[in-house]
Amino acid sequence: MTTLQTRVAAPAAPPPAVRARDLLTGEWIKLSSIRSTYLIMLVTVVTALGLSSMNAAVNTSMATGRPETDPLLPTFIGLPYAALAAGLLGILAFGSEHGTGLIRTTFAAVPRRRAVLAAKATVIGAVCLAVGEALAFSSFFLVQAILSRHHHGVSLSHPGVPGAVLAEGTILCICALLGTGLGAIIRHTAGSVAALFGVLALPAVLLTVPAPWRDRIGRFTLPFAADQVVVQHPNPSLFTPAVSMLILLAWPAAVLTAAAVLITRRDT
Amino acid sequence: MITVESLTKRYGHVTAVDDLSFTARPGHVTGFLGPNGAGKTTTMRVILGLDRPTSGAALVQGRRYLETIRPLHEVGALLDAAAVHPGRTGWSHLLSIASSNGIGRRRVAAVLQATGLEAVAHRRIKGFSLGMKQRLGIAVAMLGDPPVLMFDEPVNGLDPEGIQWIRELFMSLAAEGRTVFVSSHLMSEMAVTADHLVIIGRGRLLADTPMGAFTKSNARRDVLVRSPRAGELAVLLAARGAAVTPQSGSCLAVAGMDAPVIADLAAAQGIPVYELTERHASLEQAFMDITSGSVDYRASDPVPERTPIS
Repeated sequence: MTTLQTRVAAPAAPPPAVRARDLLTGEWIKLSSIRSTYLIMLVTVVTALGLSSMNAAVNTSMATGRPETDPLLPTFIGLPYAALAAGLLGILAFGSEHGTGLIRTTFAAVPRRRAVLAAKATVIGAVCLAVGEALAFSSFFLVQAILSRHHHGVSLSHPGVPGAVLAEGTILCICALLGTGLGAIIRHTAGSVAALFGVLALPAVLLTVPAPWRDRIGRFTLPFAADQVVVQHPNPSLFTPAVSMLILLAWPAAVLTAAAVLITRRDT
Repeated sequence: MITVESLTKRYGHVTAVDDLSFTARPGHVTGFLGPNGAGKTTTMRVILGLDRPTSGAALVQGRRYLETIRPLHEVGALLDAAAVHPGRTGWSHLLSIASSNGIGRRRVAAVLQATGLEAVAHRRIKGFSLGMKQRLGIAVAMLGDPPVLMFDEPVNGLDPEGIQWIRELFMSLAAEGRTVFVSSHLMSEMAVTADHLVIIGRGRLLADTPMGAFTKSNARRDVLVRSPRAGELAVLLAARGAAVTPQSGSCLAVAGMDAPVIADLAAAQGIPVYELTERHASLEQAFMDITSGSVDYRASDPVPERTPIS
């Protein structure tokens, strides 16, 4: 073992303060250096494409081209499940660090905790946005290829379709950011997963609510809003697609804001 | 330099640190001693800005840690060697932390070499022994080449060679003018590493003293004397100014008088002496004496009752 070449005198040019780019690099290395990240991403992709294409194949084979079904909904039937996996990826950002105690090393290295939160959210959000958009478009082409054989397809050039596909692609990112915030607040992986599941399962709870109220409350939930930004014939009793998109963004924004408030106030 | 000023930290009704003040100076290895649960880890967490003090302050190089601009270049710390993601390699673990402070790959390679982990750097931490994790934690602390280093129970899990290495490392870091602050619950370990002692118990300061002064004032010596006429001898020795404490088995513990003097006095009175043993109280004993009133967890009976196996 050699001794470390060290110096105590300040170097000629002191290294600059912690920069945003450095933080993002650090978080990117954390995310990309563990197997579970790749495993979760694999599950995400397989679930989304598998469920969507299976559903398309089964439904067309029944050859009932049910007119009441919006043309794009079957395309993205797998995406909500993929979004759950993306949410887990977000949860693990803080959940695994709190679970192992690594969070103390992280916060000792970067005492500006909100900067850590922002860096984790940015890296995971960016990855999930890229994967989500890729999934949305590949689901679209895959499913339309199956449907078009039975002449039920929709073309990407059809007005409103590109926007709907783009909007659907943000669902993974939104869930991942929601998960990141929940993980930072709850600081426990299992508890955060339960909370995320609760948020995504709200519409199931609403089934017990009388009809007009189901939509009045339901339009604020993520699954209702997510469908509303995709459908070609929006449900008039819900919010418009534009407002629904804002609802989608408001969820992670609210949770991340709460996380930012709490993160500096608590002992680790 | 680490300055702790009237630091108090309460968790609900539990006072972990109680009005604690001390200074760890550059160029010294300061041993931070106390029984389990004395508040050592809490104090270190407050110093690193991880926990917020209820009152008082902890300053690093004269500033609150949360105000530091280049954290890893100011303080390097090892709090818990097990606090690592088992699926990451040692290299990725170090690089992710280094990158967050703009520290490059060359420095990561250097600290890996310095801690003897080069060969295992690309293995998953899952397969590391506790000793290897300790070295990895020390590598993290050294990433920013900081003037202040803190280690919480760093010798736990190290083999004798590792302990020897870590002692030399601490002393060389201090010799370079750095502040080295090391917690331990083992006096014997600090006795050979630290040159200054801060001893706490139940969150309170019990001693803040140079190692040399502590050794001098606490190195109690006495003589164990065994004699069939112990009672008679005790009166004789006490009359000559010795402090005599009767022990079991017709023995006496005699302090303040050397063994040859005791032997001569006994011989002069014709009192037979079967045994004469000079005893040196260890620093461990001195430490236990100091902290005896402040141990949270103690076995009430040294040997619990047992049922003999017939």
